[in-house]
Amino acid sequence: MDRSLFRITPSGASGLIFAALAFTVLPAIAGSYWMSVLTSAACFTMAASGVAFMYARLGMVSLTQVGLMGIGGWVALRLNYLFDFPFEVNLILAALATMVFGWILALPALRMRGLYLALVTLMAAGGLEILFSTFQFPNGGVGFWGVKIGSTDPFRGPMLAQTPEAFLRYVIGMTTLGFLLIEAHRRTAPGRAWALIRKSEAAAMAAGVNVTLYKTWAFGIAGLLAGASGALLAASLGLLDDGTFRSPESILLFALAVVGGSRYWLGPVIAAFLYRILPALLNTWGVNADLAYVIFGIGLLHALITAPNGIAGQIFEAAQALTTKPRGQK
Amino acid sequence: MNLKKGLMALIAMGVMAIAGQASAAVTCGDTTGQAATGAPIVIGGIYADGAPGDWSSSTDAAAAYFACVNANGGINGRPIDYRVENDQWAPEAAAQAAAKLVNDDKAVALVGNGSFIEMAVNAKTYKDAGIMVMASACAISECFESSNIVSTNEGPLPSDLGAALYAQENLGAKNIACIGLNIPDNGVWSCQAVIDMMTKRGGTGSMALLNPGAPDVNSALLEAVASGADTILMNLPAGLAIAVLKAAQEQNLRDSYNWIAPTPLYDLSVPAAIGDYWDGKVYVQAELAPVSVNGPDAQNWLAVMDAYGKKDDPRDTFSQGGYLSAQFFTKAALAMDPKDLDDRAKVTAAIKGISGYKSDLMCGPYYVGDADFHMPNHAGYIVKITKGGFEVVQTCTEYDSDYFARHIEVEKKLGLR
Amino acid sequence: MTRPSLINWALYIALMAATMLWLAWGKPLNVAGMFITAGLAVGSLYALGGIGMVVLFRASGVLNFSSGAAGAAGAMTAWQVTQWGVWPPLAWAACILVALILTLAYGRFVAPLLAYRETVVKAVATLGFALILLGLVSFSWPDDPRSLGLPTDSIGLTLLSLKVTGTRVLAFLASVLICIGIYAFLGRTQIGLQMRAVANDRDLSALLGIPILKVETIAWAIAGLLAGFTGLMFANLIRLEPVVITFMVIPSIAAALSGRLDNLGLVLLGGLSMGVIESMLTLSPTLKGVRPIAPFVIAALVLLYNQRSSRLLFAGRS
Repeated sequence: MDRSLFRITPSGASGLIFAALAFTVLPAIAGSYWMSVLTSAACFTMAASGVAFMYARLGMVSLTQVGLMGIGGWVALRLNYLFDFPFEVNLILAALATMVFGWILALPALRMRGLYLALVTLMAAGGLEILFSTFQFPNGGVGFWGVKIGSTDPFRGPMLAQTPEAFLRYVIGMTTLGFLLIEAHRRTAPGRAWALIRKSEAAAMAAGVNVTLYKTWAFGIAGLLAGASGALLAASLGLLDDGTFRSPESILLFALAVVGGSRYWLGPVIAAFLYRILPALLNTWGVNADLAYVIFGIGLLHALITAPNGIAGQIFEAAQALTTKPRGQK
Repeated sequence: MNLKKGLMALIAMGVMAIAGQASAAVTCGDTTGQAATGAPIVIGGIYADGAPGDWSSSTDAAAAYFACVNANGGINGRPIDYRVENDQWAPEAAAQAAAKLVNDDKAVALVGNGSFIEMAVNAKTYKDAGIMVMASACAISECFESSNIVSTNEGPLPSDLGAALYAQENLGAKNIACIGLNIPDNGVWSCQAVIDMMTKRGGTGSMALLNPGAPDVNSALLEAVASGADTILMNLPAGLAIAVLKAAQEQNLRDSYNWIAPTPLYDLSVPAAIGDYWDGKVYVQAELAPVSVNGPDAQNWLAVMDAYGKKDDPRDTFSQGGYLSAQFFTKAALAMDPKDLDDRAKVTAAIKGISGYKSDLMCGPYYVGDADFHMPNHAGYIVKITKGGFEVVQTCTEYDSDYFARHIEVEKKLGLR
Repeated sequence: MTRPSLINWALYIALMAATMLWLAWGKPLNVAGMFITAGLAVGSLYALGGIGMVVLFRASGVLNFSSGAAGAAGAMTAWQVTQWGVWPPLAWAACILVALILTLAYGRFVAPLLAYRETVVKAVATLGFALILLGLVSFSWPDDPRSLGLPTDSIGLTLLSLKVTGTRVLAFLASVLICIGIYAFLGRTQIGLQMRAVANDRDLSALLGIPILKVETIAWAIAGLLAGFTGLMFANLIRLEPVVITFMVIPSIAAALSGRLDNLGLVLLGGLSMGVIESMLTLSPTLKGVRPIAPFVIAALVLLYNQRSSRLLFAGRS
């Protein structure tokens, strides 16, 4: 079988086609309201891809992804008011800074597994929530925290994308790049190391895999994606509010990544759909958005008990069953 | 529920006692008594309902007034299609709400907005779209420092200043602890103004900030007490301020401090909700005229709410603010050529042209004008919470602060002073 | 599951005491006392939540994220029942009963479906249940300022010229007594013994003829009762708001972690000290803003300290 980096699988092809369609069609047909909803959904798709990848490739549960987004957003806002860098520079620096934070978070993870690791990340999310709500997000002030009393100064978005349509395309493009980054890792040395670590850390160590390095690396990538999505969210709104980054949101995003199906590219897309688009749909239909939680909860229990690959898994399995010719009873 | 039962009883009493004839004689728009049947005019409104509170009183009142207008000839025969969206106290939802109303629904103006976040997120959207927002329950600085937003309420800064000045001049306050929400353009902005004012007048002040997502009022109260203050200013939405008073009652702190609050605590249901313990002990700044002032517009407000609002819509300052914004918009729209009502630019120009509108609910005249800042209402009342009601202890007063210098300048230019 | 060494206990207590002393240094005794009593009440709630979590985790391997949501459902029901004018003690009973029924229902019907999955999957599944409850509760009772009074609010004792309400005393005593009670229950009774056996090795216990289902059901029942009681206290002392009560599980987890999801005494000590330090941080001008971070920082430090000598070794059950 072809194992090269640029091999295109059916799933990958469908993902690229989906991204291309989203890029061209969505901004053209969506109204202003849906454009705004889709933009935040696209941001959260990128963040969800990080948490889904950690769960699918390493079995690690991270309950702090939305908190990490907050860090990315914070850094992007801070840099925006500190220097005259173009947005792209702020975006990259925010992503890198969050990656470093992901590495710090990985330190306890090197000694913990499973539930304890999940709980450590939850404590981190709880701590970040308090930091954001105490120090708030920079709004053009001076000093380290960059918060001034009163009205917010303007935020410079990307030069390439000054209209909502262009910005949606920009976010979709960035999110696609994020997916490609994960896939590129999966197909090269880190991916093989992760696969081995997931099977058995003992085996991985015995095979000479640097477990510490590759686990830290995984946290770094999840942080990178969260940071970039946080910076994009900041650009879409021009400001951030701590309410977006509370610890329950991190828990929810992880839960939805499981519901969506963490092993497939479609999983994070479904997660973001459920997270941001479903409540907007309920709102449009006049249904109380609180009921979205009930749907999330049922979806999560369903996914954990009967559909370990999530909704995306069910879709791809159904597609496979349709395309492969039946070969009689198993 | 207690709050609402008490409220309804009070409304019933109030309406019977002071406006027996008013419910029969509601005036809105042209007061023709004929339902409007023409092509609807789309008007939007954004409110905030989510943790930590429901801030929809102003859009409720605007909706009631517009319903009344529609039943009374509309805007020269055209009904108002009033569409409201909830920003859920979340910036993303706030941006989506504005995108929908301004760009998708093509509203010609927004009326009655009340929020802690919406104006900060959307001020630029409004400016770019050239739409005017006649807000009514503004809580943040952006609302008063943007070109396309004007509000009938004062916001926390003047309201806090008013309450604090009253305490400083009449209650002997020397050290004020301001309990506010930790939001830079809301709690911190207004608490800082109070501290600056106190420092200027030889006193001191401090702030105890609450996390809006998970407010722990008890800790904030303890922090205020530990600051050594003699006066506690509850710069909070009504629900949280009531929680502070409840925590203070548990500790029996009533007589050790002066208790003051900005306008959110002026809600007819509050005296019943906090109970007799606080009789005569809490001073509240009211941004618009208290019910007992009882001018014709105040009576009409209650009558409109009674006839066209929901029973459990609050009867508070923000309800008055929503009513006023809707009334002023209606007045400006009625003066326009009906053909121009679908043209956002012309509606915006008409709103910006508003000057010298008067109501007995407001201390000064209402105006908009073409400026990067708007705060037509910056004088108010002080009321004292008594058993089952409020007692006015100070009528319309302007507050001594440099903040209002540029507003006074504009008012002089418009010939309103 | 080794007994924590005495040194660790002493070290923890000494560190906490030193922190409190540092924070209270130079403050009048009654001001410091005010923050300590307020902190003890909040800490009791963290501890109660943590104790319920640990009892259940030890017996069934489930870390229950839904205890807060069950408590929220109970507290909102109690509020509703008092609004109908029912005799208040019935409302409080309703709170505990609702939390008990919800928790038992999950433990009896849903949890067994995941009995042999990893602990983290079991924990995440309870999150699903928590979301369902939260959605239904928020839907049934839209945002509104509400409060839930208890008769203990108006009685109180005065300590050091400081008024302490009965509810705070109640919360504190309950956390201590419940902790002792459960400790005695696990140590002295047949069921307690079986619970410890199941906690040690579920499969082996089953082979020995221990009625796993019964033992687990009792553990879920204890968790449910505690969830209901904690929810009621939280609604009275902090805030009657479904989202806030639901996610109080996060600091409760911090308390449970400080006892390594195992030792009830440490959970109690951890919860109480988290509450007190959180409250006393208000006295520090630089740290007062971040005071709610205390439980997370303490839990993270305890975790790191406990893990200091461990290395990732060959997999077992983690």
